[in-house]
Amino acid sequence: MRILVCIKQINDNGDMNRFDEFALEEALKIKEKAEKQQQTPGNSVSVDVITAGKSNSFKIIRRAFGMGADSGFLIVLKTKEKATEYIPPFTIASLLSAVADKMHYDLILTGIMSQDMMHGQTGPMLAELLNFPCATGVTKIRFPVKNNFIQVERELENGFIECLEIKLPALLTIQAGINIPRYPSLSNLLAAEQKTIMTRKETDIFPHRGGVKEFYVSIETPEKTRDGLVLEGDLAGRVNQLLNFFKKHDLN
Amino acid sequence: MKQIIVIAEIFQGLIRPVTWELAGTALRIAELEADSKYLVNDRGKGQNDKKKNIRRQKKSGNIQLQKELKSRIRIIVPGEDPLPVAEKIAEHTSMDVICLKIKGLETYDCDAYKTCLFRVISEMDVVSHVLIAHTSQGRDFGFGLGVKLNAASISGVNSIFSDDDGLVYSRAVYGNEKNMMIRPAPDIPVVLTIMPGMFRDNIMNNLNNRTMEKGKITVCEIPFNGSYPLKKTKPVSDTGVDTDSAEVENIHVKGKLCQKSTAYPCQFASRIIHGQILRKACGNKALKGAKIIVSAGRGIGEKDGLKEIFEFAECFSSSAVGASRPLVDMGWIGYDHQVGITGAEVSPRLYIACGISGSSQHIAGMKGSEIVVSINKNPDAPIFRHSDICIIADVHEFIKEFLKQR
Ligand SMILES: Cc1cc2nc3c(=O)[nH]c(=O)nc-3n(C[C@H](O)[C@H](O)[C@H](O)COP(=O)(O)OP(=O)(O)OC[C@H]3O[C@@H](n4cnc5c(N)ncnc54)[C@H](O)[C@@H]3O)c2cc1C
Ligand SMILES: Nc1ncnc2c1ncn2[C@@H]1O[C@H](COP(=O)(O)O)[C@@H](O)[C@H]1O
Repeated sequence: MRILVCIKQINDNGDMNRFDEFALEEALKIKEKAEKQQQTPGNSVSVDVITAGKSNSFKIIRRAFGMGADSGFLIVLKTKEKATEYIPPFTIASLLSAVADKMHYDLILTGIMSQDMMHGQTGPMLAELLNFPCATGVTKIRFPVKNNFIQVERELENGFIECLEIKLPALLTIQAGINIPRYPSLSNLLAAEQKTIMTRKETDIFPHRGGVKEFYVSIETPEKTRDGLVLEGDLAGRVNQLLNFFKKHDLN
Repeated sequence: MKQIIVIAEIFQGLIRPVTWELAGTALRIAELEADSKYLVNDRGKGQNDKKKNIRRQKKSGNIQLQKELKSRIRIIVPGEDPLPVAEKIAEHTSMDVICLKIKGLETYDCDAYKTCLFRVISEMDVVSHVLIAHTSQGRDFGFGLGVKLNAASISGVNSIFSDDDGLVYSRAVYGNEKNMMIRPAPDIPVVLTIMPGMFRDNIMNNLNNRTMEKGKITVCEIPFNGSYPLKKTKPVSDTGVDTDSAEVENIHVKGKLCQKSTAYPCQFASRIIHGQILRKACGNKALKGAKIIVSAGRGIGEKDGLKEIFEFAECFSSSAVGASRPLVDMGWIGYDHQVGITGAEVSPRLYIACGISGSSQHIAGMKGSEIVVSINKNPDAPIFRHSDICIIADVHEFIKEFLKQR
């Protein structure tokens, strides 16, 4: 089984979107389970990662190698280095789909959303472009796969959980808490030095970024919903103010 | 006149209240567009008396105006047999409703929703907006539907503004620290997922108007194994000419084949098999009844930090300990302590947030608290915007000092 995990770098230090760590961990756990069950042939699992980002995004691929990913793809975006440049999730999904489609993955995992942009759109859009069925907010994956269907649970609101079986190839967006992501290991990181990252330029895939359907206007600080009295003074003084406040409002 | 489509949220045969918010948001969009067009006219950029009329009627709070605005809106109610809920929605909103009967659809299904909604919407006259709830259901099918419709797609909309060039949508970014304003391209539909709870006031003002008549209901039946035209979904660039782009086109070969075999729905019948819907055991009764809740977030640093939080909570007579989701995810504390959209919704007299940043998912669970006190070392933490008292400090140091003085 070939698994692809979509990962996003959220800063120049190579930090991975927190939600993608869960997705990558889940893929690695499936791989480890498959290795344990190797009695049954044809069970081997490979885990690839892909990211679209600035040229320094090779860092996140190295980090993923450090966790145990097998191969990595980097799509270098044609960014203007403007902090506010808005790249529509559909653009990212299109780029990812161009690479993923050729590789014939059985399972694609993404995070439930990116920490910075918080769209939650890239995964479901990628699924649509690839014509994969998709389930979002997955909190459990059962392995092995039975009759080409994979059993998952997805989280709804108010503590409800929906059980599904979804036909491979499929795309799942992974919710936080599905596992406890590992840290990159030193031995993996050292081995990763030898690995090559398959790098493509956005302009090689799509010479013109056409079809952009929405645009950045501005960024603003949201309004307050409560007054927010900021306590001033030294720590002891502020604790004292708070105690007085509690007393006055009969909160004890 | 361009139509505004609302997709009602139905869960286990019941109308989710967020549906009313979507209807209210649709009305707000209709209002804003009528207004901004008037503004444009006012500056002499064009003349259209009818639009001016709308403005004048609005000032007098005319029912006729509401009717005109509402005539742009269609609420689609999908389900196996959604007529009873469709009736309710038509009555409650006095908007026109499309009862979308999908035979064989026992429960929400992503593929069925995307395919059937796409079919219905693409057969309608010009559609300007498709409004979907930003919930586990809406986020599941909404963006794929957006791709099918070749629409702009903006998620988690928390506010809508208008300027000379049309409407602008606000959405939270950077863990709720900022809002980003996004404008869709003109003359294409836009799919919006609307953050629940953001447009509640609006609905109160507009929907509780009992004098209005019930909306029209159109029943539209789509059999489970019918054939639907599958529109080719285009990736971002349709101008590419190199070999790569040509290969990208191959993606759609599958789509074309489906179209030929005219059996796409069979595919969704078999791509996802639905099992049970379970409810996680949650004994958060203690949280629900507590007068005072002391809640911990990732800012407490490590699991041991929870001890301090419990000690802090014990300073009060009727208190309970809450937590943000990551603490539960890491296994530091049980799910029954989680506050937020996927945890408990609480409304104590006092909520003390310790080392919690204030994501929208967390705020949704505690915004009903009477008094909110927050301790966070980051002065820009979004939680401070939702607090009555803000303490910019290291949470450990502050609690230590509190325990000393009390
Ligand atoms: C579908 C979905 C559902 C979700 N449901 C929920 C939910 O129900 N409940 C929920 O809580 N989250 C939920 N989340 C997660 C949510 O998006 C946030 O990731 C989460 O709320 C952040 O938790 P936090 O504030 O503890 O952590 P962070 O965002 O990491 O914030 C930690 C805060 O601690 C501060 N801090 C750090 N060190 C100190 C110190 N020494 N002293 C004082 N302050 C310090 C930092 O300044 C920061 O503000 C959900 C997410 C998704 C996608
Ligand atoms: N630039 C990117 N490169 C690779 N994967 C991405 C990128 N942006 C988003 N994703 C994936 O899509 C998920 C949702 O992101 P978003 O739609 O931005 O909220 C993330 O958790 C990632 O798995």
